[in-house]
Amino acid sequence: MDMKRDYYEDVKHFSSGVMLFWFAALMIFLLLYPFLFKNYYVYVANYIAINIIVVVGLNLLVGYTGQISLGHAGFFAIGAYGTISLMTLANFPFFPALICAGLIAACFGFLLGLPALRLEGPYLAIATLGFGLTITTIIGRIDILGGRQGLHAPDLIIMGHHLNTDRQFYYLVMAIAVLLVFFARNITKTKVGRAFVAIRDAHIAAETMGVNLVLYKTMAFALSAFYAGVAGGLFAFVLRFIEPELFGFFLSVFFLTMAVAGGLGTIAGPIAGAILLSFLDLELRNILNIPYVGEWLKALSTSYFSLTGVSNIQFIVFGAILIAIMLFEPLGLYGLWIRMKKYWMTWPF
Amino acid sequence: MKKTLFAVLFGALVVFGMLSTGYCEIGVTDTEIHIGQWSPQSGPAAAWGAVARGTDAYFKWINANGGIHGRKLVHHYFDDGYNPARTIAGVKQLQEQRGMFAWVGGVGTAPGLAVKEYLMQKKIPWIGPAAGSWHWVTPPQKYLFNVYPLYLGDAQLLVEHAAKKMGKKSIAVVYQEDDYGEQGLAGTKHMLEKYNMELAAAVPVAMGDSDMRPHAMRLSRSNADAVLLFISPVAASRIIGIGKAMNYAPQWMSSSTCGDCPLMIDITQGLYEGVITSSFGMLETGEKVGDLQHINDPKHKLVAEYKKDVYGKFAARDERWGYTFVVGIGLAEPLVEAIKRAGRDLTRERLVEELEKMENFRGVLGRITYGPLDPNNPLTRIGQQELFLHQCTADGGSRILTNWIETEYIPMGH
Repeated sequence: MDMKRDYYEDVKHFSSGVMLFWFAALMIFLLLYPFLFKNYYVYVANYIAINIIVVVGLNLLVGYTGQISLGHAGFFAIGAYGTISLMTLANFPFFPALICAGLIAACFGFLLGLPALRLEGPYLAIATLGFGLTITTIIGRIDILGGRQGLHAPDLIIMGHHLNTDRQFYYLVMAIAVLLVFFARNITKTKVGRAFVAIRDAHIAAETMGVNLVLYKTMAFALSAFYAGVAGGLFAFVLRFIEPELFGFFLSVFFLTMAVAGGLGTIAGPIAGAILLSFLDLELRNILNIPYVGEWLKALSTSYFSLTGVSNIQFIVFGAILIAIMLFEPLGLYGLWIRMKKYWMTWPF
Repeated sequence: MKKTLFAVLFGALVVFGMLSTGYCEIGVTDTEIHIGQWSPQSGPAAAWGAVARGTDAYFKWINANGGIHGRKLVHHYFDDGYNPARTIAGVKQLQEQRGMFAWVGGVGTAPGLAVKEYLMQKKIPWIGPAAGSWHWVTPPQKYLFNVYPLYLGDAQLLVEHAAKKMGKKSIAVVYQEDDYGEQGLAGTKHMLEKYNMELAAAVPVAMGDSDMRPHAMRLSRSNADAVLLFISPVAASRIIGIGKAMNYAPQWMSSSTCGDCPLMIDITQGLYEGVITSSFGMLETGEKVGDLQHINDPKHKLVAEYKKDVYGKFAARDERWGYTFVVGIGLAEPLVEAIKRAGRDLTRERLVEELEKMENFRGVLGRITYGPLDPNNPLTRIGQQELFLHQCTADGGSRILTNWIETEYIPMGH
């Protein structure tokens, strides 16, 4: 199953006609989505798409290159602040501002990649964590970026059209998300992607085979930061107001959790992880509306954990998901999918 | 004949249309009024969750007493964990799928700003955001009515009291690095400039700072004889504790955020005794000063009634009768009053009209006054500008130092 017989088969965008069909069906579904669902679910889709961009980028770094990052909220913040300030202070149109902000984040990613040449595992995690915490403190002290009082996003105008509603914004976010996911998938099929994987699997062996560690490690950080920066720029227009506290440590952990839950080292896995956890993040508060279960959970929570409702449910559920994945399926949702596929393809044996 | 018939039908249609607009407001039925609210019940700002629980108990009490003009208040509040993305989701879902008549409270500047434009575009009234921020009134919005006083006012009162009443010569400020702390700093500087005084030290506290020794050291070196605290209760308790260990004993003064004397005396193990704090809501206070009376004074009917009935009968189990809980009641009072005044024929426009007519309304907070919307005059939507000072006592009570004092609005912010 899925055995590649030659190089060209490996780099093909679609391994079969069936894949192409499902891809076309997905694109049509995404195009029609705003007409099929209520406005609230369009907002949810926008939120999910933004998280997909970050997590696919993070996965290039963590899943493919084997470098940990607990500071992606910092790149996300740079993208958000960069986009808004370039638009308001330098009168950049939206797209140039978004791309420049992504590139600024990429520059910071490159800089953070330099210590990564000497650090590994928990030491790298601490270094990136420090970056994530420091960047918001620095932004909070820059008056031109609104300091601690934050920044308002300007009107979003693209080719003379104001994007005011969730539905209008949806097409922008979704187009960028599809483009960046496609780009990430392409990268993994190129020399660069193979170098990333070689570094992850055995960096000394990779180096002896001619992989330039300095170049590819810093490139992985820069690329991943670019994704987070672009997503941050889009997120600023979802919230319409940003302040440093929004980009805290927990956000970085949340991004990493989505990547791990989905399945590191794949493209589909982090997308699934981002969809699942983003959806739960927004929807778990409605758990009380489920008949019987909601009442039972509320009674349990108010008896032992909280004064009202089911506060902290997100933390509990995310923690449980992570523990379950570590115990039962380290490849995450993607691993589950592979198991299911194998089961059905070999059924009844 | 045909023309007459047409005119009659047209007239009937118009009358029917007018009648139906009177009873077909979103979120209002013959028996219910749906009000939305968000608040963090989890996460870093969970302590502020008591605001929504205060409002909830208040609405339940109103319903138990027959509701308003035959309608019950249905309170929909959700936990946003102080995460604006979740605030937007909750607000949009409740608004679009359940239909809220109005929104009340809503903790936090960032969560509030994330939904402000949405609510204003849809012309949905939002009363009493639970954060003292310029953003609510600059520029004033037709459907947004502020209640929570700006922290600039706290700084004004505290500096005036320190410099004029207590004769302090050197004043320093410790401020949290956010909108709240920046307002305190700006207000302090503004007042010191007015009195031709220099700021002895301005010490920032980052949100995650837990070690307060460097901050206390800087204050001690400044030799300030009065220190204003615009920080969180936990940071305030730490800094006072370290100050005590260093034998540095200025007159500590704090904003209303650290003004819950029973709580502060408890977490500082008594070190909060003598700290002067500003307040914009009545709590368990000392002797009568002007309009302010002791909460246990039977003459002070409103607060006593709230404590006995709203808190006593409808608060969640283990809920604490504290400042934040009372603020939750106070922020909803103008909304409830305006709904009462609007009568049975309740629409959003009627509600706004009644709020705009509100003058010197007093519940458990200071006087609240609005006016017809003037885009250039924030005072038409600022609501409350009154505060008073009190001093914490060793037993967890407090001594009232001033009557309600009207503070000045200083235009600032972005």
